[in-house]
Amino acid sequence: MPDQAVPYQEGPGQQVTSDLPLAGVRVVDLTWIVAGPTCTRLMADFGAEVIRIENQQTLDSVRFGRPHPGGFDPPDSSGFFSWLNRNKRSITLNVRHPDGMAVLKKLIALSDVVIENYSSYVMERWGLGYDELRALREDVIYVSLSGFGHSGRDRHYSTWGPTAQALSGLTAMSGLPGQPSAGWGYSYMDHTAGYSAMIATLAALRHRQTTGEGQQIDLSQVEAGAVLCGPAILDKTVNDRGYRSPHNPPGNRAAWPKVAPHNSYLCDGDPADAGSWLMITCESHDQWAALCATAGRDEWAVDDRFATMPTRLRNQDAVDELIGEWTRGQSATALMERLQAAGVPAGVVQDLPSIVYHDPQIQSREFIVTNSHEVLGEHLTDGTPAKLSRTPAQRRAAGPRLGADNEAILGDLLGYDDDARMQLLIDGALG
Amino acid sequence: MSGPLDGIRVLDLCDPKGQYMGRLLASHGADVIKVEPLAGDPGRRIGPFVDDVAGVNRSLFWWYYNADKRSVAIDLCQPDGAALIRRLAANVDVVLESFAPGTLAELGLDYAKLSADHPELVMTSLTPFGQDGPRANWAWSDAVGLALAGPMSLCGYDDLPGTPPIRPTEHQAFHIGSHFGAAGTLVALLERAESGRGQYVDASIHEACATTTEAGMPYALFERQPLRRQTGRHAAARPTEPWNYPASDGRAINIFGMPRGDADFLQLVEWAEESGLGGELRDPELRDGRKRQLGLGQDSAERMLHDLAAFIASKPSQEIYRGGQERGAAWGTLNTPDELLDDPHFHERGFWVDVDHDELGRTIMYPGAPAKLLGSEWAIRRRAPLLGEHTDTILRDELGLSRDELTALAGAEIIA
Repeated sequence: MPDQAVPYQEGPGQQVTSDLPLAGVRVVDLTWIVAGPTCTRLMADFGAEVIRIENQQTLDSVRFGRPHPGGFDPPDSSGFFSWLNRNKRSITLNVRHPDGMAVLKKLIALSDVVIENYSSYVMERWGLGYDELRALREDVIYVSLSGFGHSGRDRHYSTWGPTAQALSGLTAMSGLPGQPSAGWGYSYMDHTAGYSAMIATLAALRHRQTTGEGQQIDLSQVEAGAVLCGPAILDKTVNDRGYRSPHNPPGNRAAWPKVAPHNSYLCDGDPADAGSWLMITCESHDQWAALCATAGRDEWAVDDRFATMPTRLRNQDAVDELIGEWTRGQSATALMERLQAAGVPAGVVQDLPSIVYHDPQIQSREFIVTNSHEVLGEHLTDGTPAKLSRTPAQRRAAGPRLGADNEAILGDLLGYDDDARMQLLIDGALG
Repeated sequence: MSGPLDGIRVLDLCDPKGQYMGRLLASHGADVIKVEPLAGDPGRRIGPFVDDVAGVNRSLFWWYYNADKRSVAIDLCQPDGAALIRRLAANVDVVLESFAPGTLAELGLDYAKLSADHPELVMTSLTPFGQDGPRANWAWSDAVGLALAGPMSLCGYDDLPGTPPIRPTEHQAFHIGSHFGAAGTLVALLERAESGRGQYVDASIHEACATTTEAGMPYALFERQPLRRQTGRHAAARPTEPWNYPASDGRAINIFGMPRGDADFLQLVEWAEESGLGGELRDPELRDGRKRQLGLGQDSAERMLHDLAAFIASKPSQEIYRGGQERGAAWGTLNTPDELLDDPHFHERGFWVDVDHDELGRTIMYPGAPAKLLGSEWAIRRRAPLLGEHTDTILRDELGLSRDELTALAGAEIIA
């Protein structure tokens, strides 16, 4: 299938903000790595003016993050950075220099939201705790993302995405029974902590709209992970049943609701390739009957072992073996199409290149579009999964080059003239 | 204190895949009316169940994703039922739904109809693939969604040949989609306060999951390269070293977060040496923080891990976890979710909340807020509703139906 990336109409770097739903919301973005930037990425997609505060001596490590499509030449060569920080602005500041800190404080005074994902003690050490922020901007919304939150015994402990996934239970819930945890093959909790922070921030903006009051939001990445394991936790607090058992984690079989068949089946190709596997789930008798008919195995449908959901569950080793024998050697995509035509939930385990370049649904909805960047050139980026009919999110620009907006922010926004800007530079206040 | 969404009224028509969306709004203070079929929402049939006894009011899935909502049981497939929904929708700020595309239009309950006399309405559809496109009406489940959208391709084993990619935990496609649906809804509400107009939000779980793949997406966008799944750690373009090591009690510890600073690292080394298990950790090459970084496939990191693994295996998991954190290492035990309840830290923070289940005469502990709002209330004010618990109240108070009308509707099996 040909590549069908849709060119985006606006030119690179244009700030088309008039119809954006969060236009007028200014965010001082002190976040780095992935969790915080995920939150501000969404806010920027919806039109918030997100100003990244950066420092040349302690660069966001994602500026070094692979891939570097045109060769490794940081700070502006990372595709990962650009993808995660599109639509944002960048200013470099040395906040350890009093004049650099003064610039930051002026910026905070003009902003609606201050967000950071440092270890829990950093902002207070800088003299930028919530009370100090309020002194600069009465109705500020101060959002912190940290591993353990800003209160409690272990508030000085820290996490990365994998740590938070491990502690919250998400890692141990993923895997084959009797084997070590497969876990999550990426920092899921960086994404979802960012989403949770975004939702809380939007709620706080609404609170401010109705009351005029700002507030502090204190997100713990571990708690944000525990929230995603609700029924398993209730099973403990209600039924006193812990998660560990010989059947848990259940691999690709169903946990709840308990249904069968519900598994991944090898088709043609190398088992090491994700796309050689087809996920099939039957939550109803109709879907099971449709699977039997599609496979041309009417005898399964009348087999006593598979007559009802409870018997299919009891005999799911046999169910899985028979389906696996049928799928083996066949095209996973062709089987998926046939099963879907019969109404059976079936999906190839697609890798990301398959989704970006060959997924007809993704292409039809124009989810992948082109973007432009001074170093990375013309490249692809993905969309914003919630489409607003009247004021949709926009991709206006790729990730900012380091300090790309120093002049505009210092000059246009904060009113430093040429001489004053030069002095900040000479004094080392622009980090 | 009031909730940040106090005064926002929501009609929630979602099946299980979208119920977290309404829950997020409800616990922030919105008044969420959950509409369900007369026989009960399908979420009521998802376990686990109280005392392992199934029943419409005993599903812990239902409890969790529908706390703080009120329930009205209406058969919206009947014209008189659909008419009730239209009247309810005229009095709310938000309608949430997750039907197959086209279903609500057939019932006269789509955005065009509901917003015709109510332009302030925000309506959010959360569906597996979005409202249009060749696969918009494909059969779907949480696991099939995670397979098709990329997350599953990144999870699994590299040291167990022939094993499949692993679907990482159930209900996560529900969560990922619901996060975007809730965010889109709130953005539209904020915009409405400026423009006075509502709008329609079309949220695709497929797209939401595809973008929730960290480096997987940029590697595809920029390099057309799939990342390879690896046991218990991030998928990568080329093999990297394992991160999870068993402590003496058999519980694994994730040690991805190695200390960056030399002083912290030396504390770890000294700690290992106290047990006579310092190995080669004083190797001068390891004095360079970059050489200690995991996930890059470096020989130096591999040698360090060999020695650390022996040390970790010498002590119980809690001691390794806390001892590492006290020395600046962002290490974590591979807990099961229930084991987090044993950690005093989260109790001290007030994370867990007690919810009164009057129907059982019990108080049940629930996970609390994903993010603590300190200036407005996040709370579970009310357990999930019993089936049809608020049908009469809502139809009487909101729509002014009389006792006779309610009786007639119930007799005609339009409400319950």
